[in-house]
Amino acid sequence: MIRPEEIKMSAEHVGKWGMVIDQDICTGCQACVAACAMENNISFVGEKDSGYGRSMHWIRIERFWEGEYPEVKMTPNQPMLCQQCNSATCEPVCPAFATVHSQAEQLNLQIYNRCVGTRYCGNNCPYQVRSFNWRDYERPEPLSNQLNPDVTVRRMGVMEKCTFCIQRIHKAQDKAKAEGREVVDGEFTTACAQACPASAITFGRVDDPESLVSQLAQRGHGLKHLEELGTLPNVTYFKGG
Amino acid sequence: MSDKFSRRDFLKLAGVGAASTAILTGCGPASRYVTREPYMLMPEYNYNGQSTFYATTCRECAAGCGLVVRTSQGRAIKTEGNANHPLNLGKTCARGQATLHGLYNPDRVTDPIKRTRGNAAGTTVTWDDATQTVADALKNYKPEEIAFLMGTTSDHLFDLLTDLSAQTGINSPVRFGALSMFEARATLSKAAENLFGEAGMPLFDVGGAQVVFSFGANFLETWLSPVSYTRGFAGLREAQSKKRGTFIQFESRMSSTAGKADEWLPLRPGTEALVVLAIGRLASELRGGPLPRAFADVDPADAASKSGIKLETLEHLAEMFANSTGALAIPGGTALGQSNGLAVAEAVLALNAIADNFGKPGGVFFSALAPNQTEYQRSASVKEMQEFVQKMADGKFKVLFVHGVNPVFELPASSDFKNALKSVEQVISFATFPDETALEADYVFPDHHALESWGYQRVVTGSAQPVLSGSQPVVSPFYNTRATVDVLIAAAQLAGGKFAEALPFKDEVEFLQSKVASLMSETDGFFAAPDINTFMAYFQQYGGWWKTTDARTIPNTADVLNRNLVGAEAEFAGEGEFFFVPFVSPTLAEAGANKPWLQELPDPTTTVMWNTWVEINPETAHELGLEDDDVVKITSEAGVLEVPVYRYPAIRPDTIAIPFGQGYTAYGQYAANRGVNPADLLGQHFNEAGDLAFAGMKVKIEKTGKKQPLSRLESIMGVYGVGLGEEH
Repeated sequence: MIRPEEIKMSAEHVGKWGMVIDQDICTGCQACVAACAMENNISFVGEKDSGYGRSMHWIRIERFWEGEYPEVKMTPNQPMLCQQCNSATCEPVCPAFATVHSQAEQLNLQIYNRCVGTRYCGNNCPYQVRSFNWRDYERPEPLSNQLNPDVTVRRMGVMEKCTFCIQRIHKAQDKAKAEGREVVDGEFTTACAQACPASAITFGRVDDPESLVSQLAQRGHGLKHLEELGTLPNVTYFKGG
Repeated sequence: MSDKFSRRDFLKLAGVGAASTAILTGCGPASRYVTREPYMLMPEYNYNGQSTFYATTCRECAAGCGLVVRTSQGRAIKTEGNANHPLNLGKTCARGQATLHGLYNPDRVTDPIKRTRGNAAGTTVTWDDATQTVADALKNYKPEEIAFLMGTTSDHLFDLLTDLSAQTGINSPVRFGALSMFEARATLSKAAENLFGEAGMPLFDVGGAQVVFSFGANFLETWLSPVSYTRGFAGLREAQSKKRGTFIQFESRMSSTAGKADEWLPLRPGTEALVVLAIGRLASELRGGPLPRAFADVDPADAASKSGIKLETLEHLAEMFANSTGALAIPGGTALGQSNGLAVAEAVLALNAIADNFGKPGGVFFSALAPNQTEYQRSASVKEMQEFVQKMADGKFKVLFVHGVNPVFELPASSDFKNALKSVEQVISFATFPDETALEADYVFPDHHALESWGYQRVVTGSAQPVLSGSQPVVSPFYNTRATVDVLIAAAQLAGGKFAEALPFKDEVEFLQSKVASLMSETDGFFAAPDINTFMAYFQQYGGWWKTTDARTIPNTADVLNRNLVGAEAEFAGEGEFFFVPFVSPTLAEAGANKPWLQELPDPTTTVMWNTWVEINPETAHELGLEDDDVVKITSEAGVLEVPVYRYPAIRPDTIAIPFGQGYTAYGQYAANRGVNPADLLGQHFNEAGDLAFAGMKVKIEKTGKKQPLSRLESIMGVYGVGLGEEH
């Protein structure tokens, strides 16, 4: 059994891509949620299924209440998405190797055509950020014209989750490679970070100390969610206030 | 074998089996890294053709944010903000993102149709016939019998109609939108006119301020220019180069804007003016010198007792305001939509005089006029719309053209627009979607979707620079639709005479060129071009034209504090015991309900999706014996609604609130027959500026005994009785 503190010390567990989210300026406007849905061909499930908790959001904004009227406060909006853990609890439980760690991108991948729909990964994710296709959700024509050709369209029985817009990572890397250079910080970003009107989401290389996301993460007041579980998330939050 | 197979052996084998299963299924490190095999290369890892990017302008609201749309093989794939655009600097809101679900909406009007009013089925006509119909309507009626009603976007169409009306004598186009009704725009500009002697749209520099007091302005949701104001809010909170700014919100129901505030002050509805003046008086006393006449008449103790805010709190707020180097007060939304809304707006603008922030960073400015604009224009208030509706009802308008607005839904039912339509001989709608107004029209000649359209939008609410935001088609029209400007130009040619003379253009693009040509001679544009074709090419490439200079103007504030300001309480219409607050849904706004992904976005404060709810304080709900999802009947003097309860912890016990944005009876499969429209409860009461007193109603609540489960993103544990053994 590996103890959490041992995982933290291991050098191979430094992530590559990461995110910093500033909850103090997140207004909860849902622009990231809409942008993510449009970029990643996420199905809408309708009123009934969403009432059963089957909506497919890859990113959601959490808010909680503290106190009672009139001293009631809304906690800072908390965008919650796959934390791209360096030691992900969803990975070891998949019997089909559908959710695996990518060596190249240091991300938690979801291989849709391997997924057999056991939902063990979703069960084991402490952040509850995986969503399962309970049906082939209807997308009446001509809505399919909007589908992003760079992203797989998932079907019933498949688990899915935030990929850090891996299609954008690959496009940027291939372009840089063709031009004989490294990917420049800020050259591309994820759909959520690109849309965010408050610029509360910053995405980039966490293994590059010069990148904006690393600079922000080093400001000191950042925290990682459920860090005590030893999942080593690649998303850092500023609680703010 | 079986007789030698002991229990101990069995356990040993089972143990080995379990261990090997664990290895094979991947509890060990082997599963963490795999080499991807070619057969499972997903589109994410492949090249799927080249994308083309086009700059255009968002038409989901009137703000005029610049978009860059990614297209692939002639299809629009994704909208992003235009990073060069001075208003939104590459950002978008949720509605801007979902505009593609409008473009590829399964319920668009696909062809020009003629219909019997109220009958959804119609017969398709040709565009030649359609153009002839418009030409006949222009020619066969007297100019004063022809009226145009427009929405708040498509400024180029507005300019075309303004020119047409100036030269032919037909009525000037009237513009309206539910958003501008709930923003109380007329009140804001009237207050500015009264205080500063000049009508205009005030611009509040939230980003440069240190302390922001907002009285009902939901500037992080839909108010005026939400993307730009959200950027300002991020600037307010920025704490690396300066002190983190403080934000205080005054309103009876915590909006998602108020949720971001450091302090939320649930004052009693109607006492806003008193509270503002009391803070003004206390702050003036702290600053010393003679007490300004504006704040002289108010008694802070009286304001405290009437508003329900403690006197110590008012003193503490006044101290915060008076001692800050960058204090700013913003009036908006619900605070202005009351019988005394104009007084509230004046008082809040006057409060800024104590901070002496006019024309300074973090202060109040007048928005710059857009590049090809000569005077400030605003959309009609509901009172002005009432005069319009009266003319319809009196038969003074014989032909009505409607574009970009759905007045049957967006005006309160008490305006009776639908009935007045019956007195209009011919109604021609240019609706892109089959909305309620199009259903009551004789003809629907569908305009293109915004992403298939030419045009421009003036940016008048959120940018320091004068911006003319340009539109161009990013995809070719998906259906047999036609640009309304093209239809009008062709019809004017057919009608001949003064109509043909008024619109002597080949097509919409030639008209646009005539409207932007004057910008070529301007010196401080961010690009210049020697001829119109080059200019238009740049205009399309960059998504518009803007100046590089800050053209905000400074209000003339000489007399602000010397006026008598009245702190009277607002009057409320109706009998009930609850104050009624309708608010615009932050995700759906006025026209988002037909876009399925907007429906599935959780409301930022309640997390409810796909429906309408009424927010009631949990204590009040308990007293009334109400639980979540209980359907209640809400009665005002103007109407009755049935709507499920959401127990909302951040609302005054004497107030209830319902979001606006659902309750359509038409408008496509995702919008129709879903939720209710709180505007049905609004009576015809106005403030002095002519804006509807939408927050000035009192209502009654009755239990119906029915249940309607709301879909919500927050945990359903306990909500539907799940996990409590009492499933409903």
